[in-house]
Amino acid sequence: MEGDIVAAATVLGKMIGAGLAMVGVIGGGIGIGVVAGGAVQAMARNPDASGMIQTNMILGIAFAEATAIYALVIALMILFVF
Amino acid sequence: MTLARRPKWRFGINRWWVLLFIVLGVVAAAAWPPIRPHVQLPAEVISAAPLITLPLIGPIYLTNTLVALLLADVILIGLALTVRRSTARGKMVLGGISSALEALLEVLFNLTESTAGKRAKRIFPWVATIVLLVLVVNWMELIPGVDSIGQLHPAEGAAEGHPVQVLGMLGSLPVVTIVKGALEESGGFTVVPFVRVASTDLNFPLALALISVVMTQIYGVQALGAGYFGKFFNTRTLFNKPMFGAIDFGVGLLELVSEFSKVLSFSFRLFGNIFAGSVLLFVMGSLVPVFVPSMFMMLEFFVGMIQAVVFGMLTLIFMSQATAGHAEGAH
Repeated sequence: MEGDIVAAATVLGKMIGAGLAMVGVIGGGIGIGVVAGGAVQAMARNPDASGMIQTNMILGIAFAEATAIYALVIALMILFVF
Repeated sequence: MTLARRPKWRFGINRWWVLLFIVLGVVAAAAWPPIRPHVQLPAEVISAAPLITLPLIGPIYLTNTLVALLLADVILIGLALTVRRSTARGKMVLGGISSALEALLEVLFNLTESTAGKRAKRIFPWVATIVLLVLVVNWMELIPGVDSIGQLHPAEGAAEGHPVQVLGMLGSLPVVTIVKGALEESGGFTVVPFVRVASTDLNFPLALALISVVMTQIYGVQALGAGYFGKFFNTRTLFNKPMFGAIDFGVGLLELVSEFSKVLSFSFRLFGNIFAGSVLLFVMGSLVPVFVPSMFMMLEFFVGMIQAVVFGMLTLIFMSQATAGHAEGAH
């Protein structure tokens, strides 16, 4: 009986913890939105430069996404490792 | 105007193949309902005895991600030999897969040249190797059978076991599948796949990241000499302008920290993207086994490509920044 409660509490804690860890993805989402929005505006103003802008946009997205990926890795670790 | 040759089958034969596979998928999903997959973060060991035992590090086992990495190496060497064979014939226009590789490498080389300028020839091999290897490794998760064909192991720990159904015999080996259903007393089985995508093991991205960052430092020292370390321990303005010199020194130390955090961000970016992608593919495949997984396969196709390009491009940019130095920089 007591073991069941402990097991259930562990699962509950894991799930809530993983959910809370994924809150960090908000920042990555905002960052990617800002980067892509800026790149689209720049491409609309100067379509000739779109090749270079696209390269830099992907690079910026990769940096912004990295923080979201950290949150994801932590959530995955909480779910599948501990 | 001549009419196009009328295909024997309406819409061409490939669409009928697609329809056949969709129908087969529906039948298979009805006959063997998909089960929720067991997800495990560390790579599964598939050899009983260690491959080699190193001092300090300890025994090294054959894991299924290592098998995937070796397969990727075999594929890349095969591609290289194919290109070599077709260039040895002396034709100016290569055909087939050699042409595709030529186009890919040309795009990569132009990118390298536009970023690194005259050092492109030294930096390009690292960038191209990383892009090709990561691309092949990442796209491996789209092959059917990877992550799903393997040995049966008794379920233990947190893993959820499933009953087993024998499908047939292959020589003397029984071919079995795990099915959805009530468990008997024995506890059930899980599948340990023979091949699992190498990027879902943190060791592979970490090794690539270490290679990339260490080579960046070596190229920086080769290009700038001992002055390269002036970027990290910035004492040039420390004595004539003490106030701002101290700030510059602190910024230099932050540069040093950022070199270490590059390893972290390189490895976690690749690992997180691809591991999350394969978990997404498992879960989608088990929730809606027909139609829906193909959309996510398409998504993962692009994610795998973008991660490979990003890994290579970041290596390229860090290397060209390290070799550029102060004199020809922005000032």
